[in-house]
Amino acid sequence: MITKQRFLKSTRQIAMMVLIALVSLGGATGCKSKKNIAKDKAAAEYASKVEMAKKDLNSILDGTSTWSLAEKEQRFQTIKSWNLEDTEVQSLLDKVEDKLARDRADVQRKAEEERLRKEEETRLKSEANKYDPIENYFKAIAASPDAVTANEKIAGAMQLFSTPDVPVLIIISQAGGFNDYDRPTTISKYLDYLKDQKTYNSRVNQVKYDANNRISELELIKK
Amino acid sequence: MRKISVIMAVVFSLMIGFSALAQDDLSPERKQAIDSLALEKVRDLSKYVSIIGNKSTPWSEANRVIDRAEELFMSGAEMGVSSLSSPEVRYYNVRQYFERLMRLNYDRVEIEWFKIEYVSDLQRQPDGTYVGVITIFQKFSAYDKEGGLIYEDTTKKDITVYVKRKETQIGGRIIGFWDVLLGDIRVKETKK
Repeated sequence: MITKQRFLKSTRQIAMMVLIALVSLGGATGCKSKKNIAKDKAAAEYASKVEMAKKDLNSILDGTSTWSLAEKEQRFQTIKSWNLEDTEVQSLLDKVEDKLARDRADVQRKAEEERLRKEEETRLKSEANKYDPIENYFKAIAASPDAVTANEKIAGAMQLFSTPDVPVLIIISQAGGFNDYDRPTTISKYLDYLKDQKTYNSRVNQVKYDANNRISELELIKK
Repeated sequence: MRKISVIMAVVFSLMIGFSALAQDDLSPERKQAIDSLALEKVRDLSKYVSIIGNKSTPWSEANRVIDRAEELFMSGAEMGVSSLSSPEVRYYNVRQYFERLMRLNYDRVEIEWFKIEYVSDLQRQPDGTYVGVITIFQKFSAYDKEGGLIYEDTTKKDITVYVKRKETQIGGRIIGFWDVLLGDIRVKETKK
């Protein structure tokens, strides 16, 4: 009887131990599986980031990207912040960094060129406007409907000049580093010429003034 | 010292030579500019002829324009005059021609030049002068007091043009310029 009880007790103990062992073993296996899934997921995410990084960096390099320079720079910084340990990505990052630096310099150069162009345009405009009073007289004389009106305009224009004999030089060509001139004339004759021919097809190129701020020499250039 | 003098002489000669070459062998752009300048002078003359012939031009203005027109010509240049009534072509000194034109005995005169173009391009002569021939057609119309057309003809005329490079001093600097001068104007054909 006692032997039977001992046998039953031993059997219970063994069963309990087997159960504990099974529970322990089962729990450990489940934990390991979860870790594997997380690891696989992380690996997949990493691989996806690497792929995306390569794709984006290549599109920046070969110029197929439609992003603006600022967007490209932002994308570059984002990819760099991922710290991807992929040699191809690292190489692409280096190349893109160089390219972006060149693009940035190019944009800055173009902006500077544009600024200088606008500055030059403004300068030329003000330079051209500087001669407006003279030009306007010339155009008005050429457009006068009759000799009386033209003579009135000529009298007004003459006030701008030192004397009626102020030399007028007319450049007909500036090719090959040479200034080719027409036969020099005087302002008096030139104004009469405009009246007679009824056309003004030049522009003021250069003006010299005397001490009284009147024109002492005029250089025109044929349009 | 002697070597330096020789080198300097060679360099100087080359510079002179280059300068002369630059003047002789005109680039097409410069040649074009001179061609246009000569044509423009003929167009200027056309306008002057019209003003001088116009009966409404005041006498003083006409005389001033004659002076300007005369400056376009070489000294001694002549202008041919023809008419439908006679096969003879008479030649006048340009000043005489303009004065006769101003005094024509009609109440109204219209003179128009058209088809002004080169018949012979400007060619460089041994003395450096460029010579060419420009042809023009002149339509002359004369009217009486009532505005009736009395006489009309169209004359083809050839104008010899001479273009020479000259220099002058202006404001203390030497200015090289192309002097265009018109020579004789010959009548080639007159028709109604």
